[in-house]
Amino acid sequence: MSALSLVLVALLTYASRAVSLVLLPRPNPRIEAVLARIPGPIFASLAAAMLLTDVRSFVAGPTLWAAGGALLASPARSLLGCLLGGAIGYAIGVLL
Amino acid sequence: MAIPAAAAIGAFGTIYGAAARTFLGVPLTVVSSIIVFSGSLQFTMVALLAAGAGTIPLLLAACVLNLRHLVLGAVMRPRIEARLARRALLAFFLVDETFGFSVAAGDAQPREHRGAVTERTLLATGVACYAAWIIGTVIGVLGGGLPGVERMAGAVFPVLFIGLAAMATATRSQLVRTLAAAALTIAFGLALPDWRMVAPIVAGVLVALPAGDG
Repeated sequence: MSALSLVLVALLTYASRAVSLVLLPRPNPRIEAVLARIPGPIFASLAAAMLLTDVRSFVAGPTLWAAGGALLASPARSLLGCLLGGAIGYAIGVLL
Repeated sequence: MAIPAAAAIGAFGTIYGAAARTFLGVPLTVVSSIIVFSGSLQFTMVALLAAGAGTIPLLLAACVLNLRHLVLGAVMRPRIEARLARRALLAFFLVDETFGFSVAAGDAQPREHRGAVTERTLLATGVACYAAWIIGTVIGVLGGGLPGVERMAGAVFPVLFIGLAAMATATRSQLVRTLAAAALTIAFGLALPDWRMVAPIVAGVLVALPAGDG
């Protein structure tokens, strides 16, 4: 890979981050209402995507146990609680 | 709360550094982390280089994987009140984790403080994660790394995003959307594994489109 290719990749990456955040004006209220509904589903989807592998399967035990622990703690709606639940789940997964 | 994420990012940085130096050499590997700052894209680059890919596939991969930044930026835009130059600086630090922390921190504040808190959190978590990614990369290219820690780091991100999803989900309608998005992502990721990091954005937007109470 050449330095020029790397610079192009970096420029594309920065541009993708800057287009919406820097160049676009504030969205109108209707679009803003749709955008406001996105974070929760995106967070859950990112978590789900990280539990999958390249070969149509779920990740190894301890990580799944950690996610399970965090899910059990999630009704409290506390990030710290989920991290603790995840840590306990991970420990159980390692022990099993 | 950003410390576990930054530590995990650092651990992944060591894996990236160790894997990339074979294909990029030591200087370019470090430079890639400094100027790109995108774990999923950089790992994909290494996989493509390992498969013998040239510049065009690398650029196509960058376009596809970066699509999600358009949506993250659009969601973030109404929450940021800073002027153009400051938004341009903040944009560099817009990655999945910093997006999560800053949206969660801003949304926990009264409306009049939301913008300032979101911006401060994006900058602070961005700098922390960026530093961790670069330090991890340097350790990796120098042959360092702790296998046990790296395995554990893989569990941090799903747990972190489950916590952030829980914080962002206050009503029954939001819960339904959140669960639907996760289910859609799993279905998409199992059907098309190579595209699974694009699935969260597709699913997130799809479930947000129908009008409802939140």
